[in-house]
Amino acid sequence: MTVMPTINGGIKLTPENDKDWAVLKAIAFDAHEELAARLGGLMDEESMWEDIVVPDLETHFSGQLDHVVKAVNEGKEKDEITIPKEEGELWYGALNQARLGLESKYHFGQEEDIEPDELEKEERQGYLRGRFYCTVQTVLMEYVLEM
Amino acid sequence: MDRGTRDPGGNLMNTVDAPARESATKKKEKTATPWNVVVLDDPVNLMEYVARVLMRIFGFSREKAEELMLAVHQKGKAVVWSGGREKAEMYVQELHGSQLHATLEKSS
Repeated sequence: MTVMPTINGGIKLTPENDKDWAVLKAIAFDAHEELAARLGGLMDEESMWEDIVVPDLETHFSGQLDHVVKAVNEGKEKDEITIPKEEGELWYGALNQARLGLESKYHFGQEEDIEPDELEKEERQGYLRGRFYCTVQTVLMEYVLEM
Repeated sequence: MDRGTRDPGGNLMNTVDAPARESATKKKEKTATPWNVVVLDDPVNLMEYVARVLMRIFGFSREKAEELMLAVHQKGKAVVWSGGREKAEMYVQELHGSQLHATLEKSS
């Protein structure tokens, strides 16, 4: 799969085979289902985070994933996915959720501590997907995100 | 010559002795414990992203944001802001919205 910046300030993903498309479809699958609740768990009871903030976070995070799922499905019909500038943060957030989900599941820790060849097959595949998500995030930060 | 303030009976009041009255709100503000907004390290969020989030939410310079980001990374956590509870909660909500692990603690 190639990941390239576009002249309009976005990036274009060009999957080259079914495996590449499978990785893109896995973003939503890998995303941590309870990220909002986990973040809420960092707050004390007095803040009433669970009642007041967590629902809004859930909606926000779901929106990012829904957008990416839709973009991947539509991109499959064109053999490419263009991420325009204004959608950069949505994609960044969805990819981040996926990486947080993989970390929650496999506890990879810091990248420099990992030897991919020593991982079990499912773990290794998860690790490699995580590395790909990180690469796209890095490209988004460099060429797209205005923050 | 200072004429001073007189009571209803015409007697000079010693304004120095008049009891200082403080509003309940001002007293509460003075004694209210400030709260710290604490960003916690995690192995996922990219360092550059953390710095940019801090810049965006708190208006920090890049230098300040990177200093705090490195403190988070190297020490496991860092206090990024201190102040009233309500504003602190607002900041934590924004940090959570950006998927940063953050919490509040009472300032010591």
